Amino acid sequence: MDYSKSASGILKHIGGKENIVSAAHCATRLRLVIADNAKCDKDALEEVEGVKGVFEASGQLQIIFGTGVVNKVYDAFIAQAGITAATKEEVKSAAAKKGNPFQRFIKTLGDIFVPIIPAIVASGFLMGIMESLNFLIGKGYISMSTDNVLFVLANLFSNTAYVFLPVLIGFSAAKVFGGNQYLGGVIGMIMVHPELQNAWTMSGGIDRYLDVFGLWQVPMVGYQGHVISVIIAVFVMCQIEKFLHKRVPSMLDLFVTPLVSVFVTGFLTMTVIGPVFNTVESGIISGIQALISIPFGIGSLIMGALYAPTVVTGIHHMYTIIDLGQIQQYGVTYWLPLASAANIAQGAAALAVALKTKDRKLKSMALPSSLSAFMGITEPAIFGVNIRFFRPFICACIGGGVGAMFASITQLGATGTGVTGIFGVLLCLNAPIKYILMFLISAGVSFGLTWMFGYKDTTSKKAPAKQPDGSEESLPMADGALRILAPIAGTVVPLSETGDETFAGEILGKGFAIRPTEGKVIAPCDGTVSATMGHAVCLECDNGLELLIHVGIDTVKLGGKHYTSLVKEGQHVRAGEKLMEFDIPAIEAEGFRTITPVIVTNSDDYSDVTGISGDVPAGQPMMAVQK
Amino acid sequence: MKQFTYTVTDPLGIHARPAGQLAKVAKSFADTVVTVAKDGAAVKASQLMKLMSLGVKAGDTITVTAEGANEDAAIAAVREFVENNL
Repeated sequence: MDYSKSASGILKHIGGKENIVSAAHCATRLRLVIADNAKCDKDALEEVEGVKGVFEASGQLQIIFGTGVVNKVYDAFIAQAGITAATKEEVKSAAAKKGNPFQRFIKTLGDIFVPIIPAIVASGFLMGIMESLNFLIGKGYISMSTDNVLFVLANLFSNTAYVFLPVLIGFSAAKVFGGNQYLGGVIGMIMVHPELQNAWTMSGGIDRYLDVFGLWQVPMVGYQGHVISVIIAVFVMCQIEKFLHKRVPSMLDLFVTPLVSVFVTGFLTMTVIGPVFNTVESGIISGIQALISIPFGIGSLIMGALYAPTVVTGIHHMYTIIDLGQIQQYGVTYWLPLASAANIAQGAAALAVALKTKDRKLKSMALPSSLSAFMGITEPAIFGVNIRFFRPFICACIGGGVGAMFASITQLGATGTGVTGIFGVLLCLNAPIKYILMFLISAGVSFGLTWMFGYKDTTSKKAPAKQPDGSEESLPMADGALRILAPIAGTVVPLSETGDETFAGEILGKGFAIRPTEGKVIAPCDGTVSATMGHAVCLECDNGLELLIHVGIDTVKLGGKHYTSLVKEGQHVRAGEKLMEFDIPAIEAEGFRTITPVIVTNSDDYSDVTGISGDVPAGQPMMAVQK
Repeated sequence: MKQFTYTVTDPLGIHARPAGQLAKVAKSFADTVVTVAKDGAAVKASQLMKLMSLGVKAGDTITVTAEGANEDAAIAAVREFVENNL
């Protein structure tokens, strides 16, 4: 293969040497930071000789060549591009700079929400339908029995994902922050425990306060619909959990760590994090009320644009207070048309994405999300579509602002609350034309901007996703590839870093090595233990892979000392089950290195083994085996 | 079919490293199957995982068998490896 030809091919399809910020390579991949990704032609890159795959991760364009080839292509590449070699760390830091803290925050939110989108889409769509139906029936516009089995059950299902949203968020956020997902779920459950008063039915006042050691009082109220306080609580929990995992002796780890993590976090959440956020939220509500009273529609313009970001924080569940207050004061609410404009704009942006994209999966999600937003439930559109691509979100905010400004200038007021979007017109029967105009303006501006500037299909099949804490990149998975989880927490490095010719020469098979930070081995996939040898364990996986986890180099000489096997030969284990414990300091004290090759011993039967590099928590994807 | 028996003297037995090397040697002969047997349990020497699961220790006697087109060369190579390394 002609390395210099491959190098020039790559250079051509990434927009020339001017477009390179930095370049490095790892065991299998060329890792480039690109100034303008739009100049890269990924399809053409995939066609370049020797290229096995192209993907974007953590701000880097990564081009897979495979071991032995990548370094030669790299040498030719930097020679042709006239740049100096960068270390992997430099590339990483260049990539990190690409996102400012706000973008990284949005990305984290995206990573938390993307997995739970199906749940909020299902619930949101149903909720939009049910709220509209309820409203129409309540106002006598249509006649329908509300106590037939379908109606009652649909009503019950429709808000489930929202009532228990903190549970879903807790589960998902724990993964992003590198903690135990089930514990994250428990934190979410604590926040919506049935023993707490429902935050949405608080109109009658707060039933009960708790006294915190005589220092201050906290209301016994749940956090239904809250987002940010849940994420912060789970973030705190993950920090505590990780801290304890490192400190607590492994014998006590299993019960001490979860107990303490959940108790301490739960306590902090209910007494500090939650109340602080409630105060912040009340402050925001007062601020909003002051803001929308700014004349000439300026306040409404600002608020219409900021409405959707407040949905992201979950504050919007408190807005009914504003509506009710205004109705009491003026007989109509000027807030509802504003909210409606913002919601319609989000729906229109999602619609633009739906019509513009050729990605069928995205289309099939954006369309119902958009419809749901037109009926007033915007979470699917915001989290599922707009905020993921970010620009549609901004376009929608602008559209919402303009629509809200129009509503304010024309003094559009609604006579009730509870429904926005298409059916919101029924609350504005005093001025339906104004409402329809407002609708068209919001939708038109948002749709137009999104269509023109807000969304463009990228050829990347895999959206770059920030990995759980510490791990620096995602694991590209080809179709049908088999996934292997990291059996040990630590840093993933190529086998060459074992400094052992048997492993480095792949005599035992292909794989990667982990520099362990924790003396615990878990099963990297479901399978049967085929051999345990003190310092090593062999697993015949249910998917056909044969794995050898060899803890340390030359550690066979320890004869099993400092190792505790927790499984027997022939035993079937599930992924994540503990296989072995080992004492890192003791092994090192005897003069052995604990770097642990994880080898696919039958890798000859497969085409390639790829893996991540960098820090990985145990149980996160580490290697992929291509058939 | 060619066969020999050998009593392992290496104090560490057939652990990952020699098993890998042995499997490599055994695999290098086309159309020939090399098996290693201990206490009546026989495995293909080319299957690393199976070889390790035999759990051969110092003092254990193994029976190596080669069968196929290149059995003479294979048995000689495996015998040489075993005698020098195990």
